[in-house]
Amino acid sequence: MKREGWFAPYVSGYFWRFLLIIALGALTIFSASSLMYTSGFLISKASIPPENILMIYVPIVGVRTFGTSRAVIHYVERLVGHDTILRVLSKMRIRLYKVLEPQALFLSSRFRTGDILGMLAEDIEYLQNVYLRTVFPSVIALLIYGAAVIALGTFDWAFALLMALYILVLVVVLPLISLFFTQKRQRLVKTERNRLYQKLTDAVLGMEDWMISGRQAQFVETYEADEKTVARTDGALRRWARVRMFIGQAVVGVAVLSMIYWAAGEYESGAIAGTLIAAFALVVFPVADAFLPVSEAVEKLPQYASSLERLDGVERSAADVPRAALFTVTPETAEQAAQAAAAAKAGGQVHIRLDHAGFAYEADGQWSVRNVSIDIPQGRKIAVIGRSGAGKSTLLKLIQGVLAPAAGTVRIGGLDAAAYGEHIPGIIAVLNQSPHLFDTTVANNIRLGDPDAPDDAVKQAAALARLGGLIASLPQGYDTPVREAGQRFSGGERQRIALARILLQNTPVVVLDEPTVGLDPRTERELLSTMFEAMQDKTLIWVTHHLVGAEQMDEVIFMENGAIEMRGTHAELMASQPRYRKLYELDRPQGFNQAAAE
Amino acid sequence: MDKNLLGYKGVKPVFLIVGFLTLVQSLSIILLAKSLAGVVSALFAGEPLKEQGAETLLFLLAFLVRHACAMLMSRVSYSFAEATGSSMRKQMMDKLFQLGPRLAGNRGTGTLVTMVLEGVTKFRTYLELIIPRMVGMGITPWLLLVYVYTLDTASGVILTLTMPIIVVFMILIGVTARKQMDRQLKSYRTLSNHFVDSLRGLETLKFLGRSRSHADSIAKVSDSYRSATMRTLRVAFLSSFAMDFFTMLSVASVAVSLGLRLVNEQMTLVTGLTILILAPEYFLPVRLVGADFHATLDGKEAGEAMKDIIDRNTVEARLLDTGEAAAPAVPAGHNAVFSWSPGSTLELRGIGVQYEAEGIPSLEEVNLAFHGNAKIGIIGESGAGKSTLIDILGGFLHPSSGELALNGKRLSALTAEAWRKQTSYIPQRPYIFSGTLADNVRFYHPEAMEEEVAAVVSASGLSQLVESLPGGLNEPIGSGGRSLSGGQEQRVALARSLLSSRPVMLLDEPTAHLDIETEYELKETMLPLFEGKLVFLATHRLHWMIDMDLIVVMKQGRVAEAGTHHELLARKGAYYELVEAQGEGVR
Repeated sequence: MKREGWFAPYVSGYFWRFLLIIALGALTIFSASSLMYTSGFLISKASIPPENILMIYVPIVGVRTFGTSRAVIHYVERLVGHDTILRVLSKMRIRLYKVLEPQALFLSSRFRTGDILGMLAEDIEYLQNVYLRTVFPSVIALLIYGAAVIALGTFDWAFALLMALYILVLVVVLPLISLFFTQKRQRLVKTERNRLYQKLTDAVLGMEDWMISGRQAQFVETYEADEKTVARTDGALRRWARVRMFIGQAVVGVAVLSMIYWAAGEYESGAIAGTLIAAFALVVFPVADAFLPVSEAVEKLPQYASSLERLDGVERSAADVPRAALFTVTPETAEQAAQAAAAAKAGGQVHIRLDHAGFAYEADGQWSVRNVSIDIPQGRKIAVIGRSGAGKSTLLKLIQGVLAPAAGTVRIGGLDAAAYGEHIPGIIAVLNQSPHLFDTTVANNIRLGDPDAPDDAVKQAAALARLGGLIASLPQGYDTPVREAGQRFSGGERQRIALARILLQNTPVVVLDEPTVGLDPRTERELLSTMFEAMQDKTLIWVTHHLVGAEQMDEVIFMENGAIEMRGTHAELMASQPRYRKLYELDRPQGFNQAAAE
Repeated sequence: MDKNLLGYKGVKPVFLIVGFLTLVQSLSIILLAKSLAGVVSALFAGEPLKEQGAETLLFLLAFLVRHACAMLMSRVSYSFAEATGSSMRKQMMDKLFQLGPRLAGNRGTGTLVTMVLEGVTKFRTYLELIIPRMVGMGITPWLLLVYVYTLDTASGVILTLTMPIIVVFMILIGVTARKQMDRQLKSYRTLSNHFVDSLRGLETLKFLGRSRSHADSIAKVSDSYRSATMRTLRVAFLSSFAMDFFTMLSVASVAVSLGLRLVNEQMTLVTGLTILILAPEYFLPVRLVGADFHATLDGKEAGEAMKDIIDRNTVEARLLDTGEAAAPAVPAGHNAVFSWSPGSTLELRGIGVQYEAEGIPSLEEVNLAFHGNAKIGIIGESGAGKSTLIDILGGFLHPSSGELALNGKRLSALTAEAWRKQTSYIPQRPYIFSGTLADNVRFYHPEAMEEEVAAVVSASGLSQLVESLPGGLNEPIGSGGRSLSGGQEQRVALARSLLSSRPVMLLDEPTAHLDIETEYELKETMLPLFEGKLVFLATHRLHWMIDMDLIVVMKQGRVAEAGTHHELLARKGAYYELVEAQGEGVR
């Protein structure tokens, strides 16, 4: 599939609006120029004796019209421009969203560094400047350029060419020099500033460490040295901007002089009326106002380039999602899966079965999961434990059908898990370490589990998640906003809201992906109690970093290097595996219990 | 007007230079108008082109001088802004480290970093713009106006009358726009954040099966965002509309009135032309102020926010008996106060911490005593004050009440370089900067030899990792390098602390976020390394407590009880409750 650029499709999509904006922009310049032109003409004409008021009536009207119209046209131009650009942005947002949506579950592993998502959103915001600051002013300048040269050409082609040369300096030569000179430096400044940002963020996060090391002065020193380097480059850019402005103005000055000389010559030879000398001299300044900003507009091009590159990069990476690479969904299997999903959802019964399942992210790479067989009939509760990199998340992705096994099978209700595709959320709900709370009310956040749920169902789900007391204490109850990313609530409270949401989703299977990391022991215990109680009839696949609550499970699976290292019920493992016993004692130290029992 | 402006170092010469340049610029504007008008009217009168050489040259000269002045002004104010901005940033950075990590905790790391980086840029732009704009407003229009009056009173009157109208309209519209923006600020912010919010919650939406249909909601919200923005812009753009409208109208009126008087032969063409050229120049400074208004306002606010932090008081640790600052201004004799040895003692007497005058205290009436080398466990639930106590003990925070006694000397706080040199620190997420593994280990002790580094690396259980890395000890880690797992990060911090061989060790929740196996292995590595040091370990994981010599149980900012494991169990107090609750498990 051919990828479209982030620029061209919107030009053709909004062609007429763009045309209108450019026309209005050109008219703005035209009005301002005409004001000076007619004014110059007016007072020259007025000074020729004998003259009466009627003879200058037309220029007077012209002066008044142009004087008032410029502001009005400019105002309309800006409004239409911003409105159109906001429409374009809306389209771009949807496009970016649709690119990211299929790879949603791989985003966190793929873009680890920094807040790439926020950055992409900013890139889109930034692209509005491509139009408003670069494209429109440049096109308008070119338009005025053409119009001015043609207008002069009707008087004298040779002179029109000379002026065309002057304007060429402003519209083409200076911008190109600018681009050439600033491109590298701008990029340097940008990457350096990003580096400084990273460096400072690191330092603020590690401030205690710096203070303890006693080297904070040293940090400030190296940081300031880096800032100085950036400032030097920045200074060079600014110096050039000043010089460029001066050169531009000098060209304008020379143009004014040439204009006067030419007009005087024409007047002498009788080709034009004397009244036009002043008109021609004065019109140069407002017309030049259209050309002078072009350099600055063009200079910005490299800045957009990095935003465009990033957006393009995301589109490219969409192609190599490892998803069900080995799995092709035929229309039949899709149909079967849809039916099975509907039946499972309605009946609340589903049987998951992994049979010697294995997966490797690269064809000849290490197996992330190998030879895993688990039988999970409806209602079974299993805990999965292992250190980071043991293959737990890959295992979950196999069960959710996001990844298709490279060896063995993963089946849900007899069908390959990967065949379910979009139907999976009807069968499996997921509560992970940091479920996102959207910046809306508590009720809306819960209702995301099932948008058609009546208020009673929302309240019931909240009650099951033991949110009743918390919500009653909120100023607006269910309609209280959760604030950005749920900031209003503590970690445990956020998890409970997310829990209510997946209870409302009401699936036969629930995957819990380390939902209690970062919570203190009491909160952890209470949350787990609530979860287990609310999910009695559901299948539970619980990835955990602690062993509190393992007694409640039908099976505890211990993973290491992608394979199952030990498995059994809690009691079996306690009896037969000293390693398991050792770990369990960390969560519930034996010495304590004995002492407490005494 | 900004009253801080005159307080910045070196601002007065800048004002003088800019003032002088503006004066020259204004005069050259008058000169260029006069000469241009002269040339044009002479030519119009039929004088030969050749005789205009001197006057045209004068025009060109005046024109170039005018723009050269603009260039110089911009240069002078840029270097001033650059210098002031950097010194402000330097002060701010120094202050940040003096105020300690609490500020970052309260304000949010992102906000602080943005404040330093973007705030300084904005502030610089402000300084760069405000001086020429202010001086320009103060000189150019008045000078031109006086000159116009000497030429023609009627035009002078038109120009004089227009100026207040423009200013009043600008202010009126500005106020209206701001009011309207404030009114819909909340919904506006929600709308503008909706897209980022959606992207961040994409995974959750996917799990819920809502990710596809959410695209429609993005379209809908984008649309309401556009309507809301346009409503605001319609008013906001009015301000520049009014400015444009009235200046243009004024220029047009001047032109027409000039024309009428020329018809009646009350004026010469050269005067008329001069005034016509000067009229737009008269309004230019006001228009520039209007155009840069938002940039300057932003920058001014950024500057004030920074100044607010710079002006904060930092309380130095003081020796209470003598009243002098404890360190490091005091010579070596006093630094002995801070050194920790097996015979040392540390006492906390009625220590309290309260961040806000009306708020709930984070610590209250903490009385504790420590002797020599021992392992101290600090346990309690989230929000019980464990971290605040660690901050006091590590010298990151000055208590708001109470005092300490270190080796018998009474102190107001431990916030002294000399004390920090005695301590090492392992937080939940240790600071791993981008650099080699060895550099990260050497953080407290940059001069350490290669062999010493290798020794502590193996003592903290990192040997296996080092062997697996292609670059070994010189493998780059941190952002831009290889990322480490939580357990490995802890081990780097441990190696760092061992290398420094400092006698006091602080640990703040070192293992709570790790999986239980990693936690177990880390504990096995750590425990023997605690010997022969004064160790403070704050955690909510009870299993550490058995190995501690003294357990401090925190509850709601107070010390609920302190003692050994067996003492506390026997007492059946707060500690016993924690143990009991844990024993109940999950029902």
